[in-house]
Amino acid sequence: MGLEFLARVRRTALWVGLVAALVTATYAAPLLALGVALGAAWSLANLALLERLIVAITGAERSSLPSVRRAVQAVAGMLALFAAGGLLLRLLSPAALMAGFFIPYAVLVLKAAALLLLPSALWKRLTQDARLASLVVALLFGAAWFAVAPLRSASIAAPGHAAAATESAQATAGPAAPGAPAGEAHEAGHEKSEGPQKFPNLITVLHRAFPNAGWSRFLEHYEVILFALLVAFLIGLVARLATRNPQLIPSGLQNAVETLVEQLNDFITGILGERHAPRFVPFLGTLFLYIWAMNLFGLIPFMDSPTSNLNVTVALALTVFVYAQYVGLRGLGLVGYLDHLMGSPRNLTGWLLVPLMLPIHVLGELAKPISLSCRLFGNIFGEDMLLVAFVSLGITTLSFAHLPFGLPLQVPFLVLALLTSTLQALVFTVLSTIYILLMLPHHDHEPGHEAEEELLEHSPI
Amino acid sequence: MVDPPRKDRNSTLRSAGLLLAVPTLLIVSPLLGAFLGNLLDRRFGSGHWCAGIGLALGFAAAGRETYQLVRRAQQEEEKDRRP
Repeated sequence: MGLEFLARVRRTALWVGLVAALVTATYAAPLLALGVALGAAWSLANLALLERLIVAITGAERSSLPSVRRAVQAVAGMLALFAAGGLLLRLLSPAALMAGFFIPYAVLVLKAAALLLLPSALWKRLTQDARLASLVVALLFGAAWFAVAPLRSASIAAPGHAAAATESAQATAGPAAPGAPAGEAHEAGHEKSEGPQKFPNLITVLHRAFPNAGWSRFLEHYEVILFALLVAFLIGLVARLATRNPQLIPSGLQNAVETLVEQLNDFITGILGERHAPRFVPFLGTLFLYIWAMNLFGLIPFMDSPTSNLNVTVALALTVFVYAQYVGLRGLGLVGYLDHLMGSPRNLTGWLLVPLMLPIHVLGELAKPISLSCRLFGNIFGEDMLLVAFVSLGITTLSFAHLPFGLPLQVPFLVLALLTSTLQALVFTVLSTIYILLMLPHHDHEPGHEAEEELLEHSPI
Repeated sequence: MVDPPRKDRNSTLRSAGLLLAVPTLLIVSPLLGAFLGNLLDRRFGSGHWCAGIGLALGFAAAGRETYQLVRRAQQEEEKDRRP
């Protein structure tokens, strides 16, 4: 995996970029195709230079002359690349350039997902039977077709809609109030772009039934918090039931919960090591179970996933961020913590690089909670929207018969949602574990931290 | 067919989780750098200089974080290869 994986991503992204440029040239315009190709090339060059710079700065021979030379070359290359990027943005379509820019990242995501899927038992079961595999491929094609349908209809309807809005504005606008119809047209467009709503849950149903009651307004206002609290209560209840009467040879609920806890313990110990894991497994294990349960909660009828709300995911990510900083401060001390943020300079080159490394470290630390929260929110919200789209499609398909139900087209995506909910909880937990690990003393690389480790070992956290 | 042992399965899951985080980090860090730089530009009226520097630092921060995650994924792979 590792660096070879990135090299494979680069090669694939190069080919995908070329194909995307050819397709754009054939079906759109040659200038747009040039934009896609140059965007992809810019992104690939940027990734290559970044890799070169980071290996030069953080590698084992970072203070040697060839490393410094490589770092300077990479920085000069990046400056030239940024200048070229600015020029390209002036000359070519920004949308085409951005499309090309994101190609390597899309390849990276798909390759990582494939890495996870291919060795799984689910994949083996699917590919054993040719008919089942064909059915899955057909379903995926159907899903892709219906997923892009709103985009296609929007792109087709947009010019007509705009023209109609302009015509209506011209028809109704008097010379005395030229701004008003344009504002109305803008508002109409805004309403049009709101998109599909989520499934109604118990609280929204109650709010619709009693819209003026104070308690229903209260429930509706604190809906997300109430669902999050309900999930926490249910997890607590399950834990209480599983441990109420513990047996030496477990069975039933106790057996299931013990298996889950053991798996989680093994998983986190694999990253943190036997020495540090016991102190962090309770926090990280609870985090996984809570996020997993919240992700899955939306699949229960009349319930909602609290993690499909950005406020909840930001709160979770901030909890991890604050805890990781606390672990860093507690373990390293204020001086050690600042030393860590400055990139642990130990020689002249290191101290000269402090003005560069300090903002890079601070930015990197700040980016962690943002990326954690946006990833979780985006995935769970997208999963909910996909289910809404397929339920609507199922109802529309049978609408000619005026039946009170539709085709259950969403069922395959419920299985997919189970998988992505688990995967996203796992990704959040793995990254939180890594962020905490990076804040622990660097015993792997730097000697002389035994005292700090001892201190950390006996801390109450 | 024999399932891989639990330790190996965990290792694959960890590596996949780490690599799935890379794209978001690569996008978020430059955007955050540019955003913070833009705030400074507005505060000090310095054109687009701070935004440009923030963007460049954001790219570097993204690279550094990615390097750390990839190195961690490599360690997972080496752990797998060990007898």
